[in-house]
Amino acid sequence: MSATNNPTPGEARAPGPSVADTLRRDSREVPAPLLEQHYAFLGDEDLPVERYISREFFQREIERLWPNAWQWACREEHLPETGDSYVYDIGPYSVLIARMDDGGVKAFLNVCTHRGTRLIDAQGCAYTPSITCPFHGWSWNLDGSVRNIPGQWDFPHTVGDSHNLAAVRCEVWGGFIFINLNPEAAPLADYLGVMPAHFAQFPLERRRIRAHVQKTLPANWKIAQEAFMEAYHNFETHDSPHGANAQYDVFSKYVSRFIHTIGSYSPTALADYPGDKWRSPPMSEQEMLADLSIEGRSLAAGETARQVAAQAIREQLQAQLGVDIDRCSDSQVLDSIEYHLFPNMFFFPGILIPMVYRFRPNGDDVDSSIFDVLVLEPLPDGAAHPEPPEPTRLGVEQSYTEAPELGWLAPVYDEDTGNLDLQTRGLKTSRKGLSLGNYQEVRIRRVHQTLDEFMDQGKPFR
Amino acid sequence: MSDREFKRVASLADIPRGQTYCITAGDVEILLCHAAEGVFAVANLCTHAAARMSEGKLRGCRILCPLHGAAFDVRSGAVLSRPAREALRSYPVKVEGDDIYIALAE
Ligand code: FES
Ligand code: FES
Ligand SMILES: [Fe+2]
Repeated sequence: MSATNNPTPGEARAPGPSVADTLRRDSREVPAPLLEQHYAFLGDEDLPVERYISREFFQREIERLWPNAWQWACREEHLPETGDSYVYDIGPYSVLIARMDDGGVKAFLNVCTHRGTRLIDAQGCAYTPSITCPFHGWSWNLDGSVRNIPGQWDFPHTVGDSHNLAAVRCEVWGGFIFINLNPEAAPLADYLGVMPAHFAQFPLERRRIRAHVQKTLPANWKIAQEAFMEAYHNFETHDSPHGANAQYDVFSKYVSRFIHTIGSYSPTALADYPGDKWRSPPMSEQEMLADLSIEGRSLAAGETARQVAAQAIREQLQAQLGVDIDRCSDSQVLDSIEYHLFPNMFFFPGILIPMVYRFRPNGDDVDSSIFDVLVLEPLPDGAAHPEPPEPTRLGVEQSYTEAPELGWLAPVYDEDTGNLDLQTRGLKTSRKGLSLGNYQEVRIRRVHQTLDEFMDQGKPFR
Repeated sequence: MSDREFKRVASLADIPRGQTYCITAGDVEILLCHAAEGVFAVANLCTHAAARMSEGKLRGCRILCPLHGAAFDVRSGAVLSRPAREALRSYPVKVEGDDIYIALAE
C-alpha cells in the first residue's frame, strides 16, 4: 500500500479527470463559486468512538452545542399569515416562531413565564393569534408581550416586560428561518460565510417545498449526517461509478462542500475498486445517457451525455413548471452539489438534486436521530409560495419508498440509511477510533473540530 | 352507513380548499373542513376548553385550536396534541356535485 501513499498527506487526488475538468466542458458559463477549490489538510488522527456513542458526550452537546448553534427551524412559507406560528424542538429545548402583524417573524422559548408550562405541545405548524397557557390561562400577544394575567391583583410584581415570553435570536436566509438559543450569538451572516454569495444565483427563497419527509434513524445524529458528507461510499453503497473523483472544499469552520458530477466519472479513479465494473470497459457516453434515464436518443458525434441530459431537464422544467433555467450550467442542472452548514444542515443548489437536509438528535436518545429531507423545486418568476406539505413521517423500520413523493430518491435513501444500524452496533464493539480519508472525508473532520470548539467554549444553556 | 340520514348542509362553492365553514344543526355547531383529501366534518367546539375551532386554522389535515394550540385530525377527529385529550366528534360526509351532506344521527 505504501507505494500509493503520497508523502504529503492530503495532496493525493483520485487519478483521471477531476470535477474541474468536467466543469470546463460545460455547455454554459459555469458560475464562479463552482470553480472555486478550497481544501486544506486538517490532520489524520482517528476520531474517538465516544464522540458517537457516549452519553456524556451527547449530554455535553445538549448543554454546549445546541444552545449556541444557528439552525434552521422552518421555512418562511410555514407561517405565511399574521398569527401563524411554528414549533421547533431541539433536544430538550423548544422554540415558538410567530408571524407578526408587520410581516416580520419573532421567536420565543416555548414556555410559560408563570410556572414554566410548555405552551404549544406539538412540533410543526401552529396558530397562536393570542397564545394562552393551558395551566392558569396567562396569555401573550404575538410579539411576546403579556396580554392578560387572570387575577392580576396577585401579581403586582409582573411589571413592564418582566413576564414577556423569552426572546430567541431569529434570522432569515434563503427562505429559511434560523434560530439561535444564545442571546449573545454572533450574527447568522458570520456563520453563513460564503453561502449567500455562492447561492446568489440559486436563490433558495424562490423554491417551493415539493416534498418533506421526516424519518427516525437508528444512529447518533453525527453518524447519520456523516453518511451524506462524502461520495466515497457511492461505489459500494449505491453501486454507482459517480463520486470516486468528487471534489471536496472546506470554506470555513462552518461551511464545507462537495461536488460530485453526474453523467461523467473517472474510470481510472476506480482502478483499485473491486471488479472491472465501469472501468474495463468504461461506460460509453451513450450508456451514460441511458443511465440518466434518457432513452431513445442517439448521441451525435461530439455530443456528451451531460449536455444532452441537462438540456432535456431544462426543457422539462420549462414545460412542466414554467421555470426558465436556460442559463443554468450543466453542472447546476445535473450535479450533486452539497453545502454543509455546521452543525447539521445541508443545502443543494442543484436542479436534479435539489434537497435540503437536517439531522437532529431524537429526544435524549444517543443512538437515534431525526432526518428531515426537503425537496425544493424552483418557483416560476412572480409565483407565490403554495402551502407547504405536511411532513410524511417514517419510523425506523419503514422504507423511503413509502413516501412516493420522493420518486427516484427513495431507494437511494434506503441505501444511504441501510448501514446506520450496522455502524451504530459496530462502534459499540470497536476498540479503535474511526479513520478518515485525508481528502474525501475532510468535511467530517472539519465538523468535529468545530464541534470541539463548541464543547469547550459554548455557553451552557442555563 | 347506508341507512343513515344525510342532510344537505352547504355548497362546495362556500368552502375553498384549505378553508373551513361552520354550520349549525339544531344547537350543535359543526365545522366543515375542506382539506386536500376531501371534505370532513367535526364538532366545532374544542374538547379541551370549548374554544371555537372555526377561529383556528386548517393546516393540511390538521385543525389547530386558536386558544391553547391543540391539534386534531379532521379526517377522524382524533386528537394529535395536548392539552386536548379527547377526540372531536366527527360526522360522515357525502359530496354530490356541489352539494355537501352530513349524517347527524348516530
Ligand atoms: S404555568 Fe402558565 S399560566 Fe400558570
Ligand atoms: S380550548 Fe382548544 S386547546 Fe384549549
Ligand atoms: Fe449516498
